[in-house]
Amino acid sequence: MTTRRTALTFWLFVGPFAFGLLAFTYLPIAWSGYLSVFDARNTVTPTEFVGLANYVDVLTDRAFLDSIGTFTVFAAFIIPTTVVLSLALALLVNQIRVARAFFRSVYFLPFACSYVVASLVWKMSLFSGVDSGIANTVFGWFGAEPLAWTGTVDPPLYWVVLITARLWLQLGFYVILFLAALQRIPAHLYEAAWIDGAAPGWQTFRHITLPGLRGALIAVLTLNLINAYQAFDEFYNILGDSRGYPPFARPPLVYLYYTSLGPGGQDLGRGSAGAVVLALVIALVTLLSGRVLRRAD
Amino acid sequence: MRSLARWTAVVVTAVLFLLPFAVLVREGWSALGDVFDDRDVPFVRSLLNSTVVAVAQTAGQVVLCSLAGYGLARIPYRHAPKVLYAVVATLMVPAAVTFVPTFVVVSSLGWLSDLRGLVVPGLFSAVNVFLFRQYFLDFPVPLEEAGRLDGLSRWGVYWRVVVPNSTGLLAAIAVIDFIGSWNQFLWPLVIAQDSSTWTVQVTLSSLLTAQNPRIPLLFAAAAVSLLPVVLVFAVLQRYLVRGVAETGLSGQ
Amino acid sequence: MGVEVGRRSFFVVAGLLGLAACGSNTGRGGSTDGTLRHWYHAYGEDGVQDAVRRYAAAYPGAKVEVQWNPGDYDSKIVTALQTSAVPDVFEAQVKVDWVRQKQVVPLDDVLGDTRDDFVRALLESQTVDGHLYGIPQAIDTQVLYYRRSLLEKAGVTPPRSVDELVDAAKRLTAGGVKGLFAGNDGGVGVLTAPLLWSAGLDFLSQDGKAPGFDDPRAATVFGKLRELNPSLLLGAPADWSDPGAFVDGLAAMQWTGLWNLPKILAAHGDDVGVLPFPRLDASGAESVPVGAYSAMVNARSADVAAAKAYVKWLWVEKTDYQTEFATAFGAHLPARTSLAAQAGPLRDGPGKQIVEFVTRGGRIASPARWSARANTALSDAVSRIARQGAEPVGELRAALEVARDEIARLDR
Repeated sequence: MTTRRTALTFWLFVGPFAFGLLAFTYLPIAWSGYLSVFDARNTVTPTEFVGLANYVDVLTDRAFLDSIGTFTVFAAFIIPTTVVLSLALALLVNQIRVARAFFRSVYFLPFACSYVVASLVWKMSLFSGVDSGIANTVFGWFGAEPLAWTGTVDPPLYWVVLITARLWLQLGFYVILFLAALQRIPAHLYEAAWIDGAAPGWQTFRHITLPGLRGALIAVLTLNLINAYQAFDEFYNILGDSRGYPPFARPPLVYLYYTSLGPGGQDLGRGSAGAVVLALVIALVTLLSGRVLRRAD
Repeated sequence: MRSLARWTAVVVTAVLFLLPFAVLVREGWSALGDVFDDRDVPFVRSLLNSTVVAVAQTAGQVVLCSLAGYGLARIPYRHAPKVLYAVVATLMVPAAVTFVPTFVVVSSLGWLSDLRGLVVPGLFSAVNVFLFRQYFLDFPVPLEEAGRLDGLSRWGVYWRVVVPNSTGLLAAIAVIDFIGSWNQFLWPLVIAQDSSTWTVQVTLSSLLTAQNPRIPLLFAAAAVSLLPVVLVFAVLQRYLVRGVAETGLSGQ
Repeated sequence: MGVEVGRRSFFVVAGLLGLAACGSNTGRGGSTDGTLRHWYHAYGEDGVQDAVRRYAAAYPGAKVEVQWNPGDYDSKIVTALQTSAVPDVFEAQVKVDWVRQKQVVPLDDVLGDTRDDFVRALLESQTVDGHLYGIPQAIDTQVLYYRRSLLEKAGVTPPRSVDELVDAAKRLTAGGVKGLFAGNDGGVGVLTAPLLWSAGLDFLSQDGKAPGFDDPRAATVFGKLRELNPSLLLGAPADWSDPGAFVDGLAAMQWTGLWNLPKILAAHGDDVGVLPFPRLDASGAESVPVGAYSAMVNARSADVAAAKAYVKWLWVEKTDYQTEFATAFGAHLPARTSLAAQAGPLRDGPGKQIVEFVTRGGRIASPARWSARANTALSDAVSRIARQGAEPVGELRAALEVARDEIARLDR
């Protein structure tokens, strides 16, 4: 086959995808770089060049910095709880012999559910502020007054709602990941340990299971981080209302959404500058965390 | 004793995991009949839109990404490594962060409130290309060579030999794509301005954030919106599990 | 008698709020073809949606599709106006930004000789640079509803000052019933304006060239909302605009719309009392916010002339529809003085009192020069003060800065 024919065949296979990637990933990134140095309020074809003003605006905008803070708090809660709980569930399911497939399916089922539907159940029923809400009913048995879960800012009870919703939705996914990894640990390692007199339990977990899950742990941490970073759906649907969004608990994407497309914003220049900064931050965090995790091995 | 504790933990967790589904059915039961009356919001229309979007996006993604993954894995083109690099580089930038500029591009194409605007930008998944490429790298060469001996071109080999022998991965990725596409929210929220293009998630969200939500109707609609994905989940769970394991553990 | 009061009220409203409206006739016309898309926010009152769909279907000039928008309507409108030819016609309150960006078209010629029939203050509120951009559909207002029996039982008198309101709400909070419901956001959305007025302040100064809350008393008055916070109902199933919480007895008082009056009277009858928002001190005044969703035309519409013709037909010519729209589904005041006579529920009792509140203390709640960004900055500040206990002076200073920027931008 000539080089030329090879090239042609290659582009026959890769061309359509490459074109789409160019049009819907590279072009937008370039365009947002362009918009970010213009005053693009209420327009996508701006004319007034403003240099780095949008970047200065974003980096000094308290709401933007708050959104990074919100993400940090959120990640600090959701990542450890997800890792610990999904690993615990995976170990439990892995150990039971009867109905293992059934329980695995049950834990995995919420993965099929959308964040919108979960938000609805969490906001309107489980953590509804009226006394017939399920959480309030349960606390009521112990004589507690009904709590306004999503409306209480001080202390921030809304975090309970947001975190439990996400846990329910995503735990199953990570349980499956851990189960797959657990099944890849060769059984003879456990047998050898048993012959050597190691007690099943903490010792085998510490010296065989955990090292065997190293790769899965890195995957779970990384995916969790990226997903937490992109949180939008449950925040928007649980805390947002017909008038907009409160000034707290705005993760980065909610900030971008309201800055670029909300009634108080429509500022695509600033939104683009924010997107560029966030893209850099996420790339940096991913690289760094990858390096740290691999070094920790 | 330990086994009792273990069983209690497993069963209690399972009940907690099923509770939200029970709530949906219980709260929505009374209004199940009203869901299909499109008076307040175009719910039936949005179910249709979601179906079109999810099916088109799944089919398009699987075809485009598997082709590209195969090309990158198997065709010895001089510049292939550079192209691969350009694909992998975009993995560092989550699509969600680029939704603002992508919105600008799509609106310049005149694709606001248009099903094309909902479907097309989501077709080009670098993750999927990467997964397919990893898989095709390990695809048995003798199988392909047998096809070449039968006089098939690369294109012919791909469709007659590679695809029929890769249905497991194709199905796995298709199931993940379908569920992801059906459940996506931010992008349709931004693009589907006109209610004739709302997807089911947008419709549900607009009911949920309304000033006076009609609660039983809301739950009933949510329950109905779950049916297609739960069905896919139940029937194709085997592939889904494989897809999750592949997606999650591919990096190692 | 009721009719007389109604009519007089409208003239007084006009006189108090508003000033001479001016405009020019640009005289456009055109043919109609194609389908017109008409957007409404989701009214909570039963029957409105059926009615507006019926009106649209009856329009002889073109096919009209109505879109009902539950959820965050304001964001949707602003995003749509930026790039989209849909909707052709929509309801909103005019913003100067939209005019500057040429996203909406002047409607001066739509009114014709009916101009004098519309409440002048409303027309004024939809006018920018001498041109009218929205045809007022109906007048909305909000008041404080309270249960006489519950106040009596708690030994409190109907609150006539902000301090009395805080005290009453506190004492009415007992046994699962909260003192006041003013929205799930703790009153930030709907009480910000009345709180400013209660201290004699406003969003904008009289001439509209500066923020109207550059005053230490702004910090004082928003501090009151913080004091109110523990007695507020939060996390109710439906928000402030729905009478549910008050009707179901979840709160002893609720700040909500005049439009809910019929449902509230049906639930609690003679037990219902109404009040305007009280004043902070002698330099402030009792007030009720007055707003009017107005019909506007998208400048990007494929057929602006057709859209205008439809608006003229529906909101100028079809007075029977306008009357039905304002009065048949919950209570609103018609936007035209000649239709005021029809406002049945407002002839006596609490309805009549509310009309008097509007006459005496009605204030425009959403001035065109008060930009959405300035409003977000202020309500964020108020939210932090009232809900998170942030320090008021610093928060308001930040909001003032944004407001000044925005006002300067409008005049650039």
